[in-house]
Amino acid sequence: MSGGVSGTAVGAPEHAAASRGARRIILLILQGLVAVAALVILAGAITTQGFFSLDNVQAILASVGFVGMVAVGMTVIMISGSFVSMSLGTQAAVTAIFFIWALKFGVAPAIATTIVFGLVIGAIQGYAIGAFGANPIVLTIAVVAVIEGLVVVFSSGGTQTPPDNAYTFLNDTHFGLPLSFYVMLGVVAIGELIMRRTRFGKQVYMVGDNPLAAYVAGLPMGKIGAGVFGLAGAAAAVAGIMLGAYNQGASLLLTGSLTYDAIAATLVGGTLVSGGKGSVWKTLVGALVIATITDLLLLRGYSNGVQIMVKGLLVIVVVIVVHLRSQGRPS
Amino acid sequence: MSRLSPSVRRRISGGAPFLIFGLVILAFLLVPFYSTEAISPFNGYNTLQSASSVGLLALAVGISMIAGEFDLSTVGMYALGGMLAVKFGGSSPVLGVLIGMAAGVVVGAIQGGIIAKLGISSVPVTLGGYIALLGLTNVISGGESVAYENFNVGLWLDQEVLTYFSPRSLIMLLAFVGVAALLRWTRIGRDLRAVGGDRRAARAAGVRTDRLLIGTFIATAVISALAGALLSFSIATAKPDPGGSPLVFAVTAALLGGVTLAGGRGTAAGILAGVLSLSLLEEIFVIVATPDYVSNLVLGGLLITVVAFDAPRLRDRAIALRSRAAARRISTLQSQRIRREQQR
Repeated sequence: MSGGVSGTAVGAPEHAAASRGARRIILLILQGLVAVAALVILAGAITTQGFFSLDNVQAILASVGFVGMVAVGMTVIMISGSFVSMSLGTQAAVTAIFFIWALKFGVAPAIATTIVFGLVIGAIQGYAIGAFGANPIVLTIAVVAVIEGLVVVFSSGGTQTPPDNAYTFLNDTHFGLPLSFYVMLGVVAIGELIMRRTRFGKQVYMVGDNPLAAYVAGLPMGKIGAGVFGLAGAAAAVAGIMLGAYNQGASLLLTGSLTYDAIAATLVGGTLVSGGKGSVWKTLVGALVIATITDLLLLRGYSNGVQIMVKGLLVIVVVIVVHLRSQGRPS
Repeated sequence: MSRLSPSVRRRISGGAPFLIFGLVILAFLLVPFYSTEAISPFNGYNTLQSASSVGLLALAVGISMIAGEFDLSTVGMYALGGMLAVKFGGSSPVLGVLIGMAAGVVVGAIQGGIIAKLGISSVPVTLGGYIALLGLTNVISGGESVAYENFNVGLWLDQEVLTYFSPRSLIMLLAFVGVAALLRWTRIGRDLRAVGGDRRAARAAGVRTDRLLIGTFIATAVISALAGALLSFSIATAKPDPGGSPLVFAVTAALLGGVTLAGGRGTAAGILAGVLSLSLLEEIFVIVATPDYVSNLVLGGLLITVVAFDAPRLRDRAIALRSRAAARRISTLQSQRIRREQQR
């Protein structure tokens, strides 16, 4: 973690109080808990009418679209050791506003400029974080406040509406799933490819694994930070484009719980909090797990509050399990 | 600056929060000169009022930062504390507050236990905690804002005392004084800074880091619950989601107050100075009728500036630049001397 959110530098191999044996027992209990929870979910799924219907499966998959795109960026950020960006949801909303505004220049130019716009917003933050070691969480919290202010300056804060209907093909459904789902799969594939097959991706894993060593070894921390957050910004911009199209207009309200949902998906997908380990496709699995549980709770008639609470508890449990497992193995 | 001894330099940077507060006070006193508005003691009362709830949140976040951690769940506890106080405080407001704070003890003990005993970073744990607490608050409230029927409590809490104060702001100030005394005159303060600065060394020196960390997270949760309860009583409503702005305020105030993200540094008095600076700044915005978005921009910009100053590599770079400049100065001096000697 650049800057180090905490004295322990987020998940650094800190000698903790619980003994090795105690940790193993806790890990066993928690893994048992996860297994039991999985069984409960399965049982719930079987006994819930309509859960395995085609409609419902489509609904689950469709609901992962927007979160999935934002979560791709969140994963890359977490792998790089910068933990999270608290501004990705707001960035998706502000790029949605930009996209809807830019539609007057045509759909293709609007899409292209929006992605570049998202990339630039992200890259600026990433450079400050990578090059100066600015704290990513606090910096991105501040960016949210600044973006919210600037949006009011430039668009008077109202809802931006599209000039015509040329964009509506973005809302089309193919094979029972909205286009945004396929776009999300594309973003995941590109993210996975960049992280696995390019030198940049390898550098991101290296920086996340040991930021100090990477810094001392002379890796271009500013450029890597800008690349990581730029990539995340571009992915959030794609989410923004699809969000704007889906809502046929855009305002800051689109942010919703996108940021936290993306963080939850990334953590549940098993990305190591301190960086260096994790992958984009696993985050997609994390997002699907959350979406499935949320859907099940919804079908069973649980309130929105219960769904949020379960999400939070799931995050804590998975974070502990991933942490204990990463410490159990010699690295 | 480079010629000052370390202790003097530390005293100067420790005084920065109060210097900033002084500048904001100056800006406030000068309001009649750069706008058509007048200032009155009522502005002082207002400042303390707006400082009351978020100020306690800043204290909570600040304490966690001194310990080298970062408690994101404080805003969740802020929401839950407010909700519990309204739900259970119908007949006895004190009971409502106590139930909220008791919930804080439980939440803090669980989170602190996980963080201390398993050695996990506090950020992801308290992030999960934040989400779970917001969910719990939503469950309790049914997803809606809940009105507090007992208006008299809010009226009593917000009544003017000695022109500038109210029982609510006095409770906030009392909490600050309590924490300040604890940090200054007991072992806890020294140990807390040691744990935040260098945890291994602290443990080696015999500090019971686990107990201290668990205590820290209990304290942050309890203080956040109290903050939420006071806010709910004051506005006679408990909201299920306080949004992001309380956290922005709290973190900015703590950082302005001289707490660092690296941990190990900071005082309650500094955090209070940070809180009052920000609240007075917001009051100035209110007086000169700046639109909301401007204060959003200023707060965000301020936070970015403070984070940049807190960034370790920027500091390294500044030191490197300074030493390079010094080296250049020395080398020019030397070459001048050599030239002079050659001329002779």
